[in-house]
Amino acid sequence: MKKNLSKYLVVIFSLAVIILAGLIILKKPVKAEKPDKNENIALSGYYRNSSDGDPGNSATVIKEAKAMPVYGNWRNFTTLDGLPSDKAYAVRVDDGRVLVGTHDGLAVYENGKWETYTTEDGLAHNGVVSIDVSQLTGDVWIGTLGGLNRWSGGKFETFNQFNSGMPNDLVYNVFCYGNDIWVATGGGAGHYDTQTKQWEIFNEQNAPMHEPWTYALSAGDGKVWIAAWGAGVIEYNTETKHFRDYVDPDGFMEIDLQPDDGPIHDITTATSYGNGILWVSTYFGMSRYDGKNWNGYFDHDSGLASNFINFLRAEGPVVYVCSDNGLSTFNGETWVTYKKNDYDENGRAIITNGTEKKEVPLSPSISHNFIIGVDAADDVLWVATSKGVARGERIK
Amino acid sequence: MIGRIVVNLKTFALCLACLLISCEGRPVKNGMLILSETPGNIKSDLLSGPSGRYFPGARISVIRPGKPDSHFILTEDFYSACQPAISFDGARMLFTAQKREEDTWQIWEMELDNIRSRKITSFSENCSDPAYLPDGRLVFSKLTINDTVKSAHCLFSCNPDGSDLRQITFSPVNYLSTIVLKDGRLLTFSWPLLNDRGEPMLTVMRPDGTKADKFCGGTGGSSLIGSLHETPDGKIVFTESTGGDPSVADLISVNYNRPLHTRINLTSQIKEEIAAVLPLSLNKFLISCRGSDSGKLELREFDPENKTIGQVIWSDPDYNILEAFIVRSTGRPKKLPSEVDLEVKTGLLLCQDINFLNQELTGKFSIAGKASRIEVLGVDTTYGIVQVEEDGSFQLKVMADTPFQIRTLDKDGNVVNGPCSWLWMRPNERRGCIGCHEDPEMVPDNIVSLAIRKSPVMIPVHITEVKEKIIELE
Amino acid sequence: MKTYLKILIPVGTLCILSAVFYSPYKRWASEHVNYITAVDDHPLKCGSCHLHMQKSGIISKIVNARYYSPFNLAVSKDGRNLYVVAEEGNALLVINTDKQKVSDKIEVGTRPHSVILSEDGRTAYVTNQWSDNVSVVDLNRFVVINTLKTGGGPAGLALSTDGRYLYTVNSFSSDLSIIDLSTSKEQKRLTAGNNPAGARINANGTLLYVTSRRTLSAPYGDTLRCELTIVNDRNQRVAERRDIKQAYMMENIAFTPSGDLALIPMIRPKNNVPTIQIERGWMMTNGITIIEQKPDGRTVQLLIDEPNAYYADPFGIVITPDSKRAFISCAGVDKITVIDIDSIRKLIEGSTDEELNMYSNHLGISSRFVIKRIPTGPNPKGLVLSPDGRKLYVAEHLGDRVAVINTESMETTGTIDLGGPDRITVARQGRRLLNNAGHTFQTQYSCYTCHPDTHEDGLVYNMASKDMGRNITNTQSLRNIGDTPPYKWNGKNQTVFKQDGMRFSTVLTRTEAFSYKDLDALSSYIMTGIPNPPNLQYNPDGELTEIQERGKMIFERTHDFNGNEIPVVNRCVTCHPAPYYTNKETTNVGTLAASDDSILFDTPHLNNIFASPPYLHDGRAATLEEIWTIHGKTEEHGAVNDLTKIQLNELVEYLKSLRDPDYEKHGNEIKYASFGKN
Repeated sequence: MKKNLSKYLVVIFSLAVIILAGLIILKKPVKAEKPDKNENIALSGYYRNSSDGDPGNSATVIKEAKAMPVYGNWRNFTTLDGLPSDKAYAVRVDDGRVLVGTHDGLAVYENGKWETYTTEDGLAHNGVVSIDVSQLTGDVWIGTLGGLNRWSGGKFETFNQFNSGMPNDLVYNVFCYGNDIWVATGGGAGHYDTQTKQWEIFNEQNAPMHEPWTYALSAGDGKVWIAAWGAGVIEYNTETKHFRDYVDPDGFMEIDLQPDDGPIHDITTATSYGNGILWVSTYFGMSRYDGKNWNGYFDHDSGLASNFINFLRAEGPVVYVCSDNGLSTFNGETWVTYKKNDYDENGRAIITNGTEKKEVPLSPSISHNFIIGVDAADDVLWVATSKGVARGERIK
Repeated sequence: MIGRIVVNLKTFALCLACLLISCEGRPVKNGMLILSETPGNIKSDLLSGPSGRYFPGARISVIRPGKPDSHFILTEDFYSACQPAISFDGARMLFTAQKREEDTWQIWEMELDNIRSRKITSFSENCSDPAYLPDGRLVFSKLTINDTVKSAHCLFSCNPDGSDLRQITFSPVNYLSTIVLKDGRLLTFSWPLLNDRGEPMLTVMRPDGTKADKFCGGTGGSSLIGSLHETPDGKIVFTESTGGDPSVADLISVNYNRPLHTRINLTSQIKEEIAAVLPLSLNKFLISCRGSDSGKLELREFDPENKTIGQVIWSDPDYNILEAFIVRSTGRPKKLPSEVDLEVKTGLLLCQDINFLNQELTGKFSIAGKASRIEVLGVDTTYGIVQVEEDGSFQLKVMADTPFQIRTLDKDGNVVNGPCSWLWMRPNERRGCIGCHEDPEMVPDNIVSLAIRKSPVMIPVHITEVKEKIIELE
Repeated sequence: MKTYLKILIPVGTLCILSAVFYSPYKRWASEHVNYITAVDDHPLKCGSCHLHMQKSGIISKIVNARYYSPFNLAVSKDGRNLYVVAEEGNALLVINTDKQKVSDKIEVGTRPHSVILSEDGRTAYVTNQWSDNVSVVDLNRFVVINTLKTGGGPAGLALSTDGRYLYTVNSFSSDLSIIDLSTSKEQKRLTAGNNPAGARINANGTLLYVTSRRTLSAPYGDTLRCELTIVNDRNQRVAERRDIKQAYMMENIAFTPSGDLALIPMIRPKNNVPTIQIERGWMMTNGITIIEQKPDGRTVQLLIDEPNAYYADPFGIVITPDSKRAFISCAGVDKITVIDIDSIRKLIEGSTDEELNMYSNHLGISSRFVIKRIPTGPNPKGLVLSPDGRKLYVAEHLGDRVAVINTESMETTGTIDLGGPDRITVARQGRRLLNNAGHTFQTQYSCYTCHPDTHEDGLVYNMASKDMGRNITNTQSLRNIGDTPPYKWNGKNQTVFKQDGMRFSTVLTRTEAFSYKDLDALSSYIMTGIPNPPNLQYNPDGELTEIQERGKMIFERTHDFNGNEIPVVNRCVTCHPAPYYTNKETTNVGTLAASDDSILFDTPHLNNIFASPPYLHDGRAATLEEIWTIHGKTEEHGAVNDLTKIQLNELVEYLKSLRDPDYEKHGNEIKYASFGKN
């Protein structure tokens, strides 16, 4: 009996996958069939540089995007421009300079020049995968594949699992929250109090996790949300020191049988908190939680670029979503997704309001569609991709 | 027979003098001057070096300043006596003397309150230049003749009764006119026997002969006359004959704190020939200088501030005043501990970088060719060639109490620098230098030299192993 | 007749008994003294131990006394009032400079360190190093009106240029508290160097410079680096962390009012060089770091020592208003070194970088700029100039006096007595000896140099045992070691008498050994007078946190987490039992290096162990964690290999919480007879 049941389940599962794939395949041509719809916008909205003027075109774009910021005038930086590597993992804007984590060290863009820092300068490891800046002290915290760095006053200080209470040296994500530094590592989440110099570790031994693997975390309003592999989102209350976990209620892998019932999936890749909203990304879609209700978003029913989401960051009402097939931005109503063409340097911005989509060609576009990091500040958007870093300016 | 009667008469006269003096209490009181006197006419060039240590017929007398009548002879029953050295408490006096003309010069000690003398040393070789050590022992120069030092006045120390004799210098260099600095080290005039192996200089070392080092040098060919003195304000004063004209001698002052660069000639404007000095106070010295009339060395006042010679304190128509010393209690210098362990047969020498050369404060750098080896030289022999480490450092384990020199060689064996002046290591001594002929005012860089990460190289190199007691110093 | 007999018989009997027992008594007494002192040459002086080794009780109160120990000072703008921090008096003393007398005394926190005045001169801020706070003193009423919380061990302090913020340098927690004076709350805390102490805003009021005392953690043999932390006074962020190479103990900093130079007293130690001689500066050198205050300005180091004469433990520095002269207190030699700054300007201007690098190791260079050494009373520390720059006030730390020096004639014109005890107790004399370099050859360094604040310097030295390069050892703390013999890493010295005896002079001080009188005084101070600071950072009230409690359970466990019994020798508590957390035995913890002689290691006490990095006998472990994560692969140093990282963290947090047992008895007010409050 059990055998039969499992057989049925496999069949249902296979059918679901096929249906899902079919839907995706069927939807794709739709986009292709509608270029003429956007032609007028394409012709008039073919903006090269926001500073070039042509307010009429820009105004059209702004109108389409409603309250959402739209970025153009993309400029891409690669090793040819001075980046140590084209594989950019993280980007963070800090007081007039841009910090980029790459496969071969930390790159800093300041006064129009790139400066690289590696292990020779004190970096724990050249694989820099996460960067955050403490707004309190101005210290830069750098997560690498070989430990955590505090970069302060031009000097790197290394924390690792041997010389400190850090959980593990694989630091996927670092987040500064007041006096506290939080890290998501391969050995659990770590909390470092910069005043007491004390480390706390949260993993499967003392928190509702299945295994120690954590991918990312964020904090706000006295709570920390840990994106834990296979355990959804772990919420930690810094006051009560209590945990609460949010997992995918239906437990299914690729499909979300019951929409808006919680996180899309238990394998979460990032969390970000802004304007009272918690955004959660997975490899199977994105969720939005306002404290009461969850909303799920997929590439087939929203403007989301792809369900395979590497990272996301919320800035105020807008969330910036890094996927394997472009960058999406969303404020709960309007989506603006940026994608690069496969065969040239150009691309397009896809503005989605409900079911209505409009495409705006971009020339040039973001440098690559596989995106891992993003940061926005002062009307400038920086994107870390597999082919360098892209810088876009907000259209006004 | 007559001689014996003369001797007996001398003894009787001395006893009578003692009796008379003892009537007015202690014969030699604080504040009195002890004079070293020698008869006849002597030239300055005879006053320096070994020749200036032994004056036949010399005597030691005492005088109360301002009272010429108080002068009397302390060494009446000696054929010759000179080089007095007063103990730190002012109660005793060491001196070198011959009881009889045919005797060798030996070290004697006199109790100043009863002028009784006792012999301390009894060697077949001459001994001279005694000085009290802070630990109660004494140091003196003794003529030493052997294969290593050839024929040199080496320094020895012994107990007050002459026992426990220890040689403390081991190089072919004369060490004469030794005093003990307030820091506890010996300051002595070193006079290399082999002129191509260094210049005469003032050498400083610990009382056990360790850490021997240059204190200051003279001008070319100059040599010390008389004794060295350390003043309360940290100056070392002495008289020195200039190399050019041995009959001209000057009064020199150097600062203890920076002896290599504070040399002042206090009598450069004075024609009189200066033989010795005694600093009485910061602004009053006594000097022995040759009188224009008598032609003898007289004891006169000297003002170091204005550099002027004052009135005659004492003169004798038949005797030269070689030196004067004041009887007074001076503070005991520091009693330095000793790292020497006679059960150990070797000493360790570390050099940080043989290519670190003399860099004077002029900022002019003298950089020689890159040396990569050193040759350790003995007297009339070589102890071997040693490859130094990449950073130019080396560590040698040298057979103790053996004189040696070091010169640097390039990879082809050409001499780059050196040889340095004579060195020796006392048993269990450890010492270091930062370079080769480096500025002695340089301190070491705070680095871990490659040489100390390895075992030291044995010198002479043909010795593979020395079985000795292992010392744990830490 | 009978009366006569009544007296004669007992007296006679007494005499006979004395005659009979004198010899055996003397023999017993000699054996007793030899046993107690662990040396066979100490004279029969009962008072050495029975009077002067008493840490508490009536005898201790009788033989000891409480001193003020002036440490730092400030002067009012009109120059009439001098404010003196009394380190052991726990007070701020007000001196009327006209009358040259103490006019007021304000009780502040424990172990006050520094004082500064507000711009309007109405308020004084006093850092209380052992209370982790700042006393705000109203200078009109001479009362404490507020107490501001800081980080661990506040020392130097400064006010922001706009006067709105107070910066306190936290010497124990190695950071900088920035306190908003409008709210009296700490706004933020910036990480500083290791054991920071001095703080000063630069001449143009844009940057705060914070000096460090201890060097940054690095493996033995690496170039020493002492951090100068430069903070932007505008955005209160760290602008630069400058490494001052080969420097150590940068206590204070001063800027020329003309704004061209910054001067920092410092020590250049020779810990990487074998301790084979003192001659020619092979152990310690003392000097100043000079930083040109211009873009790409050079950082220069010059020694203030001379050949054959060293000026140990430079501490305070002030510069005259005309920017011509600097005065540096050399605490180890009781002297003020006077520097002609124009000569330094000329020297730097006319020298190449290569020459300047050479000068940093040259004993003769001081003759170019040092113009005088002014003698002072015992252990001169803090300095302050009168507003017109004509008078220099010197805190004679262990003399309980303030010296007044005429800066023109460079002569001492008078001293102001603070009213402490007239007598110098034996322990006080011992403290003076410990802080004075007179007992090392050519006064090259004092005990304090390697044991600053009677703790340890965090450096690792090559003690050059049987060969050079062997026996690399980390300096040990002197705090409250009276009850934790034996001493030295190999535990070969059973007593301080032995530790500081002849061998000590042969190997370390290389000058005349301490006299018995001095040795008694030194031992008395070390055995009774050196308390541990309270562990306010990790254990302020004796109540352990949950994490520390779990760590305590691991520390005291007898079975591992797999249920297996841990061999007794591998249990933490076996070698580290309370209250000092040492069994006073020697043992092998598996850390013997190839360069070590074959020895067992003395089990160190663990109270305030958080303050003693690096760890293990040769300092190979930079942190407590590294003892086990890197150097504890075998179980010889405790059974820890079954611990998870969380459990290891808990164990480490418990170790950090260990504090001096005196605090368990008395709270955070230390009760040493010769120290602390009455």
